Amino acid sequence: MPRELEVVSPRAGLMRFALSSWAALVYLFLFVPIGLLVAFSFNSNKYGTFPFTGWTTKWYGQVFGDYQIKDALTTTLRVALFVTIISTIVGTAAAFPLVRSKLRFRSAVRVGMTLPIMIPGLLIGVSLLVFLTNVFHLQLSVWTAIVGQSVYTTPFVLLIVAARLQGFDQSLERAASDLGANTFNRLRYVVLPLIAPAVFAGALFAFTLSLDEFIITLFLIGGSNTLPLYIYTQVKFGITPEVNALATLLLGASVLLIALAFLLPTAVRRARLALRTR
Amino acid sequence: MSAHAAAAQPAAITLRGVTKRYGGHVALKPIELEIAEGEFFCLLGPSGCGKTTTLNLIGGFIAPTAGEIFIRDERVDRLPPHRRSVNTVFQSYALFPHMTVRDNVGFGLKMARIPSSESAGRIEEALGLVGLETFGERLPTQLSGGQQQRVAVARALVNRPAVLLLDEPLGALDLKLRKRLQVELTQIHRDVGTTFVYVTHDQEEAMSMSTRMAVLNDGRIEQIGTPSEIYYKPNSRFVADFIGESNFLEVETGSQSGVVRLADGRGVPCNSSATGRATLMVRPEAIHVSDPHDAPESSLKGKIVQTSFLGSQTRIAVSCDGVSLPLTASQFGRERLAARELTPDREVSLWWDADDAVLLAKESMEEEVE
Repeated sequence: MPRELEVVSPRAGLMRFALSSWAALVYLFLFVPIGLLVAFSFNSNKYGTFPFTGWTTKWYGQVFGDYQIKDALTTTLRVALFVTIISTIVGTAAAFPLVRSKLRFRSAVRVGMTLPIMIPGLLIGVSLLVFLTNVFHLQLSVWTAIVGQSVYTTPFVLLIVAARLQGFDQSLERAASDLGANTFNRLRYVVLPLIAPAVFAGALFAFTLSLDEFIITLFLIGGSNTLPLYIYTQVKFGITPEVNALATLLLGASVLLIALAFLLPTAVRRARLALRTR
Repeated sequence: MSAHAAAAQPAAITLRGVTKRYGGHVALKPIELEIAEGEFFCLLGPSGCGKTTTLNLIGGFIAPTAGEIFIRDERVDRLPPHRRSVNTVFQSYALFPHMTVRDNVGFGLKMARIPSSESAGRIEEALGLVGLETFGERLPTQLSGGQQQRVAVARALVNRPAVLLLDEPLGALDLKLRKRLQVELTQIHRDVGTTFVYVTHDQEEAMSMSTRMAVLNDGRIEQIGTPSEIYYKPNSRFVADFIGESNFLEVETGSQSGVVRLADGRGVPCNSSATGRATLMVRPEAIHVSDPHDAPESSLKGKIVQTSFLGSQTRIAVSCDGVSLPLTASQFGRERLAARELTPDREVSLWWDADDAVLLAKESMEEEVE
């Protein structure tokens, strides 16, 4: 097709070259900073920047030796775990009425349920801060942060599960019912196994989002520190190589989790199929 | 012997005044239906006639607006599907894609908490019944359409239901496979002796498989009977038209026995007791064709307008005076006139045995028009 256009207009080739170059530049702008961050984390330069003075892994050693970082990591994982559990359960449950019930104003309800994705984190943070402290008189803690993050991550689970549920063949449930399965057994043996990949993907998504959530956490966590908060407090006094190493680790974990969320369901299905056909 | 058994046993299924309305739309007018134990009963009709609604009412997937449903004398119309002793073969098969064939077939037994020592044997038996013994470890996606259909049958029958419901189970298959599975299904029905209720819009399928059938139209049962009763003695123009091919003549019945009269006074053969206006129905294969001078007195003269050679039969369309549409006659090669002599424009006479003509009451026709 593009070649055919060249026959019509000799300038088409030039145009295509210009557009491809522009696209490449945008791509570079997206990934060079991340690449540099990773590179600096292995650079022996103690200011954590240019020039490259040698290869080292000692910053990683310092990261693992730092009790403050260990503390922040524990908090982060604990928060992420609870956020994942809450948003997976609530999001999955909410997907059912959204897809199946004969709701009036269904699209309005859907927008309402998924609004936390679109409204600024700042707003969620401040409003929950007022609500939890002034109305409920709660102490700020990891628990208030967990509540706040769940508000933000639940809609992601909801959307992922709802998409799967949309394509779910309901005659399967009729068949299960016909074969003697009550509501609970239909859910357990037919519906949940079939939407499990989506639930799992949603859970991983929630976990990843929670790992590096910053704004809502900042407002609601009180005295504790999560990794993103710790990094922020560190860079206020200048970039250190440990921060580079820590950010690189966080990046690695996030990429791994997202890749898992996308690849695991297919991999599981393939493996199961291979076992069956063996 | 089976008649004795039927008299002693309660009916497998009884519908009394069962009605289904969706808002203002009446999907099913009050129907009465009794299906005996061991029957292969077909619900036949065009789309939207209420046949699938009837099946869903028996299966419990929808609730009747009014009326009572009994399965072996147990009232079930307020029970959910999983509490009724019927099982369904769905049009889409609805096999569980994440379970093997064996797990699919065993699902009902698992729900009924049948111990695995017993269920393993029953699953094998059911798979054997449909000829899929070696396919137990496959997933449904690894099976052909015909095999999936058989799994659906095995999955339903393994539970030994009082009644097996089949919702156009062969609708998604190509013609050849459908014919083969029709034979297989009747075989299975004979083997297990379970009552089958089978929904189809394919009259040939219904005729070839069922022991009795109901023809539905517009939410109402038009006629219930054996395939031959329905074919030879249709009670309405709709049934006559829907099942097989028919010729219709507007006639006046009178005093003379064995003859009814067309509008212009000519007589055609028919046995009738009633008097008044009626529609006469005669099947193409019942019509004799001959040279006009060989014909009996009460016959119709006409001219051949079209001859179609169809292999086993030759069909001719004959336009007769005073009859609006050409009459169709089927010739099977052993009649008085050789098929090759039936050329267009030839003058012929048509007649039939009085017993082969059926009189349809006038009102059934008017309803059809309305």
